[in-house]
Amino acid sequence: MDTFLPETEKTIARWFGVTAPNEPGRRLAAELADTIAAFEALRGTMAFEDEPSSFEAALQATKESAT
Amino acid sequence: MSDLASLTLTEAADTVRTGQATSMDLLNACWANLEATNGRVNATTWLDREAADTAARAADQAVRDRKPLGRLHGVPMAHKDMYYQAGKLSTCGSALRKNWRPDYTATVIERMAKEGAYVFGALNMAEFAQNPTGHNKTFGDCHNPWNLPYITGGSSSGSGASVAARFNYMALGSDTGGSIRLPASACGVTGIKGTQTRVSRYGVMPLSFSHDNVGPLARSARDCARIMAVIAGHDPMDPTSSAEPVPDYEAALDGDLRGLRIGVPTNVFFDGADQPVIAAIEQALAVLQARGATVTRLKLPVMDAVAAYGSIVSRVEAATIHAQWMRDDPQAYGQHISGRMYPGYAIPAPYYVESLSRRGPILKAFAAEVFAQVDVLVTPTIKTNLPTLNETDIDHGPPGTEKRFMAVSSNCRPFNYLGLPAVSAPCGLDPNGCPIGLQIAGRPFAEARILKAADAFQRDTDWHRRLPPMLTRTGAGA
Repeated sequence: MDTFLPETEKTIARWFGVTAPNEPGRRLAAELADTIAAFEALRGTMAFEDEPSSFEAALQATKESAT
Repeated sequence: MSDLASLTLTEAADTVRTGQATSMDLLNACWANLEATNGRVNATTWLDREAADTAARAADQAVRDRKPLGRLHGVPMAHKDMYYQAGKLSTCGSALRKNWRPDYTATVIERMAKEGAYVFGALNMAEFAQNPTGHNKTFGDCHNPWNLPYITGGSSSGSGASVAARFNYMALGSDTGGSIRLPASACGVTGIKGTQTRVSRYGVMPLSFSHDNVGPLARSARDCARIMAVIAGHDPMDPTSSAEPVPDYEAALDGDLRGLRIGVPTNVFFDGADQPVIAAIEQALAVLQARGATVTRLKLPVMDAVAAYGSIVSRVEAATIHAQWMRDDPQAYGQHISGRMYPGYAIPAPYYVESLSRRGPILKAFAAEVFAQVDVLVTPTIKTNLPTLNETDIDHGPPGTEKRFMAVSSNCRPFNYLGLPAVSAPCGLDPNGCPIGLQIAGRPFAEARILKAADAFQRDTDWHRRLPPMLTRTGAGA
């Protein structure tokens, strides 16, 4: 993972024109490796729904009916 | 301190309505506490006493004239400094908007004004609502009225502190990852984040379009019920706001918890929790059980997915909103603000789309399993003893401070991704004398149920009425 941070910084600069503002920014960018690991761990555990869906529809589908 | 200032919002409104006190009396009582405490707490960004005086006189005249009075008639209020009012300063807690004045007004401000409330000032906040602690590089850190070196919780830091210091009956905050519930917990007040889409966000600074919520911090669950009844409901100016009917939240507060099924998570929410916090939650559960609720311990499903996907959404959306300033003037931000946004630019679009597209299915999976067994979930709002401002100061602290900083909001963030309503009510004090919060979450649009549970708890406890030592040692100003 030695090249992870410099490559990430290059990608951000290329796509957004934003440079690392400070050391906390670099440290947290390096921690994106953890984000990748979390997504890897989820692979295969969930499938996309075939039908169109939205979060608002899910709120309605699971809502409190009466109190 | 004045007895008037120690009233709850609903009690204060009733004193004005019945003529036991005037609106000017309330304003003067709040102002006395503000002058006595705010120099140490630093909870405000701007004040407008002249406008408040004018509004208080008008409110009192309306009472004398026997005009119809709104549900918040004559009660002074202040809001997190990210609620727009046409022509008024709205700093959003940042040097980048230090002199910014919008030309339109937030729907929630208009709705509260229509019910008789009036604004006397704006409240300190995390810069652009982006930290859970109350640090602020531009306006100075907000300090906890219960113990000044400790965090107020954020991002609605001044909202929590002003209500706790008894110079504000009700504050509007915003909650993207706990920013209403955290300061409510840390400052010993009551706050609610409604179901995602429950309250209009028109005229409120965005941080994360998918996770942002508007809501109140006040003295009691009943106060929150009254405010939610005023501000919830569809707003044509915010097409994302729900058309779901708004029930009479206050009418549901009857103290009867018979049949209520409480779930206590055995995973995630107590991992690494401090013993005083665990003990306070267990005592709170006993109070709720004595009112008729039953308690089930259960493992919550899909929490890994909630954590992974939830962390993506607000980071990407905040980074997107702030891209121009991050290019042009990144040093205007506190280091922990720009530093936390920066990685958001490296997150691939498919990750973001995946996170959003799975939000509905994950909510359905969560609700199907959890709400088949229980009606509400009870957790600590913050699972550790409250940290100090120094312990969570990323800008000046050593590497690793980020972990302590992020741990503050770990029990709140899941309910933002899931979109569920959650209330925080005070339920104890940690060894440093800082408040502990009880978080009660429910199904979508179950605000009435969770407020009812919090209100029932407050009928049998007095944590919400206790005053910070700075107000009790030798009176306000001690």
